[in-house]
Amino acid sequence: MPSSQPHASEISDRNQDAYSMTTPSRIDNNQMAQRVSQELTPGRAVALGAGLPGLVPGQMPPESAILFLSEGGALGYRSAPSEHELAAVDSDGQGVVLIPGGSILSTIDVSALVRGGYADTVVLQPAQISAQGDFSHWTTAATPALFSPGWAWDLANAPGQVIAILPHNRSDGSPNIVSQCTLPVDGPGCVGLIVTDVAVLRVGDEGLVLEEVAPGWQSDDVAAITGAPFSVSPNLREMSFELVSAQLPNKVYSSGLAAIHDLPQGATVMIDGFAGPGGMPSYLMVALRDHGAGDLTLISNTAGVARVIGFGTPVGRLAIDHSILVDNRQIKKAVASFPVSPSPSKPSSFELALQRGEVEVEVVPQGTLAERIRAGAAGVAAFYTPTAAGTQIAEGKESRVFDGKEYILEEALRADFCLIRGYKADTLGNIVYKGTSRNFNSVMAPAARTTIIEVEQVVEPGELDPEEIVTPGVFIDRIVLRPPDFLGYE
Amino acid sequence: MNDSRSTVFNGKVYPSPDAALDGISQGATVLIGGFAGLGRPEGLLSALRDSGVGDLTCICQGSWPQSPDVMDVSELVANGQVKKLITPLAMYPGFGGPVEASWQSGELEIETIPPGVLAERFRAGGAGIAGLFLPAVPGSRFQSGKEVRTFGGQDFVFESGLRADFALLRAEEADTLGNLIYRGTQRNWNPVMAMAGRVSIAEVSRIHEPGGVDPEVVITPGIFVNRMVQAN
Repeated sequence: MPSSQPHASEISDRNQDAYSMTTPSRIDNNQMAQRVSQELTPGRAVALGAGLPGLVPGQMPPESAILFLSEGGALGYRSAPSEHELAAVDSDGQGVVLIPGGSILSTIDVSALVRGGYADTVVLQPAQISAQGDFSHWTTAATPALFSPGWAWDLANAPGQVIAILPHNRSDGSPNIVSQCTLPVDGPGCVGLIVTDVAVLRVGDEGLVLEEVAPGWQSDDVAAITGAPFSVSPNLREMSFELVSAQLPNKVYSSGLAAIHDLPQGATVMIDGFAGPGGMPSYLMVALRDHGAGDLTLISNTAGVARVIGFGTPVGRLAIDHSILVDNRQIKKAVASFPVSPSPSKPSSFELALQRGEVEVEVVPQGTLAERIRAGAAGVAAFYTPTAAGTQIAEGKESRVFDGKEYILEEALRADFCLIRGYKADTLGNIVYKGTSRNFNSVMAPAARTTIIEVEQVVEPGELDPEEIVTPGVFIDRIVLRPPDFLGYE
Repeated sequence: MNDSRSTVFNGKVYPSPDAALDGISQGATVLIGGFAGLGRPEGLLSALRDSGVGDLTCICQGSWPQSPDVMDVSELVANGQVKKLITPLAMYPGFGGPVEASWQSGELEIETIPPGVLAERFRAGGAGIAGLFLPAVPGSRFQSGKEVRTFGGQDFVFESGLRADFALLRAEEADTLGNLIYRGTQRNWNPVMAMAGRVSIAEVSRIHEPGGVDPEVVITPGIFVNRMVQAN
């Protein structure tokens, strides 16, 4: 481990030298971190930048269910005792241990999670904040050409709310909160809440609002050391440092019908379905049929062909697949790779409905479908793929040549609801799959506003090996147990 | 590990880091895995330093202040082998050692790319995607001069896919086919760099015969890994 690296506490200790003579006294770094911790939502991912944000996990009660995310790729961790064998690090490279239900992400998955909006809150230590919430990352004037915001750039500009934690002033007494940033801006207007060693300020539409002051401080004291004007909230209060007890949301629903109760008419729904019934959420599909919502746009690999082809379904039985929704006239449109049956003598329900003019279809090559869903999940708007360039699929799409090769522009797909199937879930929604049933399930899980998964087993957090978790729980909103006697065919 | 019964599969396992670096020549672009202390291919980096190959463009997380016995890109920089460093965070200013010194003296060019953008460019490169549109940040110095396009009322900026000649990786376990498993946050940049490297070379603590790693927990399929070497 880097031993000479400037860590949060050192940076701020340096910054605090200059105010030792001022009264009243400023709160310490841990109190600042405690105040930040009150803003966090149990069960949700909170991304922590380098510096002071690294102190926040240490302020949480042991049973805390906040899932801190580090740049290093730990999701769901607490500070590690220094003698702990180092296997996971926070954004400063300091050792951490995973909490039960924590998991490990690679850098690309960290990036997708943050850009996709799954880090509800990010906590950063800026060097400067303007009255408009502009953010300059911590850096030094000594090496101006190397203003490297690192991960902070990704975090500041992601969809999550941004909380800034920083000393109110530099070591020379100059303010860190200023009318206009004098350092390069890395996140224009991104900061929503500022927690310093003397105050809490909210960045409002009309500028800064002083909401809380450190014990013993008055608003005039704060104004005297702040480089930007602010208004004072009519509810101005003293900062408190209580720990908020974290209650986990219950993600486990009693039945498929209960889990999809609010799936509305006209929704766009992703439903996994590669070939046979093995990986398909057939229990949830039956629930959706019984629920009855219509006018649905289906995004899926097939639009239901297992029912006519079988794919391992026992002879004489009919696989439960998307066809049951088509037969129930709930599907308006399918976006699919295999919308019709591969066998002309065994037309699928969707195929027949298409022939009758009752449904619409958009055919998407399978790899492009997966990539479009992944893009939707990862906050990518569109991408250039060589797949299908020069074919019928490319009609109406932009084509562009890169290095002598033709590519077409394909846009991201997202959905309102996503129904998928896993093997095991813990109650936080961490998922492992079994065999190739992983297929589209793991790609779709982060691509919908509400993702519902049916699994064969539900276990307690900590029972799944964090290294083996394929889909972290932050992507899963609702879990249902597939009844043990439920068959994927009828 | 070099079980004679399965020589068919052992073509990927090289006898030494030096041998595994075969073909890295002057001017190559090299990806280096690792974040903070974890996931860095130290043996491969040492061999690359000893090879003296110069004019390299290195792409990695950056240089973290280390104890002298820990190998990272700064040793290549100190040895005058690196022409350009592409990185999210080259160093902590004031703590940058040889990277900071070489940059100050003008010998080293540094290009900063935020990690989320860099990772996405690697993934695109590795997945055959020519380029993609990422959310625009008004006034960002990392997006100036780039094509802007509106999707769904929001501005996005074009970023091209990125590949490199070589990727140097670190993993905990593998089979001789190159299927990789990592340990903890050692994972970090390694999987996406494995995709983006034309020749990906992994330094691995334990190398098993095929079947010796659980297929459900393999993170980097062997198809992305060309060479391996036993870690010390």
